[in-house]
Amino acid sequence: MDFSVVGYSVQRKDVEAKAMGQAVYAGDIKMEGLLYGKALRSAYPHAKILGIDTAAAKDMPGVQAVLTAKDIPGINRFGLAIADQPVLAADKVRMMGDAIALVAANSLELAEEACSRIKVEYEELPGVFTVEDALKEGAPQVHEQGNLLQHTTLNKGNMAEGFAQSDIIIENVYQTQRVEHAYIETESSVAHLGFDGVLTVWTSTQYPFRDRRQIAPVVNMPMNMVRVIQMTTGGAFGGKDDITTEIQAALLAMKTRRPVKVIWSRKESMVCSTKRHPMRILVKTGATKDGKLMAMEGQVYSDKGAYCSIGNFITKKAGLHLAGPYFVPNIAVDTYAVYTNNTICGPFRGFGILQAAFAHESQMDILAERLNINPMEIRMKNALRAGIANSTGQVFESSVGFYDTLLRAKEHMERYDLPGGVKE
Amino acid sequence: MKKYGRGIGCNLYGVGYGFSRPDHSAAYIEVADDGTATILSGVCDIGQGSDTIFCQIAAEELGIAYEDVRIISADTAVTPDSLASTASRQTFVSGNAVKLAATNAKSHLVKLAAEIFGCSLEDVVIKERQVSCLSDLSRTMPFATLAREAHQRGKQFIGFAWYDNTTADVDHDTNQGDAYATYIYATQVADVEVDTDTGEVTVLRVGAAHDCGKAINPKNVEQQIEGAIAQGMGYAIMEEVVIQNGITITPSLTKYLLPTSQDMPEVITYLVEDPDPKGPFGAKGVGEGAIIPTAAAIVNAVYDAIGVRIFSLPITPEKILVALAEKEKEQI
Repeated sequence: MDFSVVGYSVQRKDVEAKAMGQAVYAGDIKMEGLLYGKALRSAYPHAKILGIDTAAAKDMPGVQAVLTAKDIPGINRFGLAIADQPVLAADKVRMMGDAIALVAANSLELAEEACSRIKVEYEELPGVFTVEDALKEGAPQVHEQGNLLQHTTLNKGNMAEGFAQSDIIIENVYQTQRVEHAYIETESSVAHLGFDGVLTVWTSTQYPFRDRRQIAPVVNMPMNMVRVIQMTTGGAFGGKDDITTEIQAALLAMKTRRPVKVIWSRKESMVCSTKRHPMRILVKTGATKDGKLMAMEGQVYSDKGAYCSIGNFITKKAGLHLAGPYFVPNIAVDTYAVYTNNTICGPFRGFGILQAAFAHESQMDILAERLNINPMEIRMKNALRAGIANSTGQVFESSVGFYDTLLRAKEHMERYDLPGGVKE
Repeated sequence: MKKYGRGIGCNLYGVGYGFSRPDHSAAYIEVADDGTATILSGVCDIGQGSDTIFCQIAAEELGIAYEDVRIISADTAVTPDSLASTASRQTFVSGNAVKLAATNAKSHLVKLAAEIFGCSLEDVVIKERQVSCLSDLSRTMPFATLAREAHQRGKQFIGFAWYDNTTADVDHDTNQGDAYATYIYATQVADVEVDTDTGEVTVLRVGAAHDCGKAINPKNVEQQIEGAIAQGMGYAIMEEVVIQNGITITPSLTKYLLPTSQDMPEVITYLVEDPDPKGPFGAKGVGEGAIIPTAAAIVNAVYDAIGVRIFSLPITPEKILVALAEKEKEQI
């Protein structure tokens, strides 16, 4: 097809403003009477809240509002896929990142000082910090409904037959770590209740309409009276898919009737916002002696941290992609998403599939070595193509370009010598 | 001692939400009386370049120049809902919405042009800001003239469309069925240097071949891949949020190690364009697919270099030294 615009590397629409330092981020917003909001965070990863005394904070000159759970006009809940997270913890904290109180003050320093003067009485509870401990009988419960948030199964073909037809079976356990999005711009919002009664939130986000869907019931306003505007966003990678600073700024703006800016510090960004799920992945792969994959069995355990976010779908998606871009006739994968008292995990570029790829690609190389087949050749032999069913049994008649990516990689390997000369 | 190795990482990635989760997107386009166009889209450009991609799609579909298209995005009071910038879905799902909105706006323009030219609708072609009658190329006018003519005649050129990418559900027990509308695929090759004295891994070069369906903006796809490789390398060899008994002990960027520009390997990208008939101009997307194979390729390259396999990420110098010491013990 003959295109005149598509397929050309035209200059990006955003590039000039960003290169010239003219792009406006939420943190850049200046308004008459702007206040600064700050959250008091939990002192324990798992504890009952027995009492909160905000008197000393409220008495400070320059402090305009101090809010706790009882000051929330609407519901005290939010969450991307499952609303299991309190805006302000009322009776219990489940992770260090839980917010307990909000302060709006004339300066950030004052707001921080006021937070430090809020007295919270806790009764510390035993916590669970690994998936293994969380799944033990009698383990401390992060949520009342239990620590196992979700179990999914993927079943294709017949496992017994698949392994019986295999000449080689390898079984390994892969462990991945928790990582941070580490966007340059931390989570930031400004909120203001206008003269027309519309609450506007300017924010660094990936989805203003879901923000609105989650802000409105907390401030107890209809959705069409809440306006969310995405500002230039300094990286997101999944970490700004969920609510971060939006509701905190909105609640303080509603209370003070003044514009309020909330910017999380780097420490808050690290401790309070979602992370990529650590996963323990057990994989058993069977293949014939000429390297044809026959069966793959797996278990995926993800550490959710204290709340779901959208980790239920992430964990499930990891399981569905565990066979990789290969045709495997027999597949059985169980996935388990497990609550712990660690920092919440949520969406992060790759959505569970980096973890799966680490496992399936290690398995491919181990098989290749054991069978004395070239790593490229074993991938080519098993590559999904148009007309071949993937792990959910889905068949695409076109646009399965995997084999072509292998061919390009093979050419690349021939074109570029490995530095350091030829290996032994 | 410096050792060198090369490893391959591959992946597939289901684009969009899948599993009957709502996955729709909407867009408006207005053509002003000077022939320029404005898109209203709910999509957040979070640096991935969606604003640019949609302006290219609209310009192509309308037959005007990229410079003539402006976009206003992600404001709940102004733009329609296009769902989230996640799941590598915006080029595929919202790209379709923008393309359909442009088709909608264009249909009104074509109708007016046919009236003016006295020809059939099929006979009208708009390309590169010029409106012409195919069977009689002497009948032609600038796109801007047609747009102005429209407003003189009491017509308004607004296009609206939404695209629904919601897929059928799968069997709930076996998860068998048509889970995703489309998949993207990739292969990356990593070349690494491992210092066996310090355990340090240096990634020297990554070759990255990605099937994105159709690159609407090739340089933008390359940017996505290059950024993803930096992030994927951090995941492979550096980054870890360490939490002990619920307490984060790496809460700052001095304790949490991130790759910098100095750590960047040479990146060579290969764009594989296997078009999806459902995608806008065949495009599928690239955002998340780009990061997935990097760590896998690096893990395999480290094994290739030193003959020890690390089963837990990140591959820190400490883990490498322990593994090398164990390997040495086994050999004695």
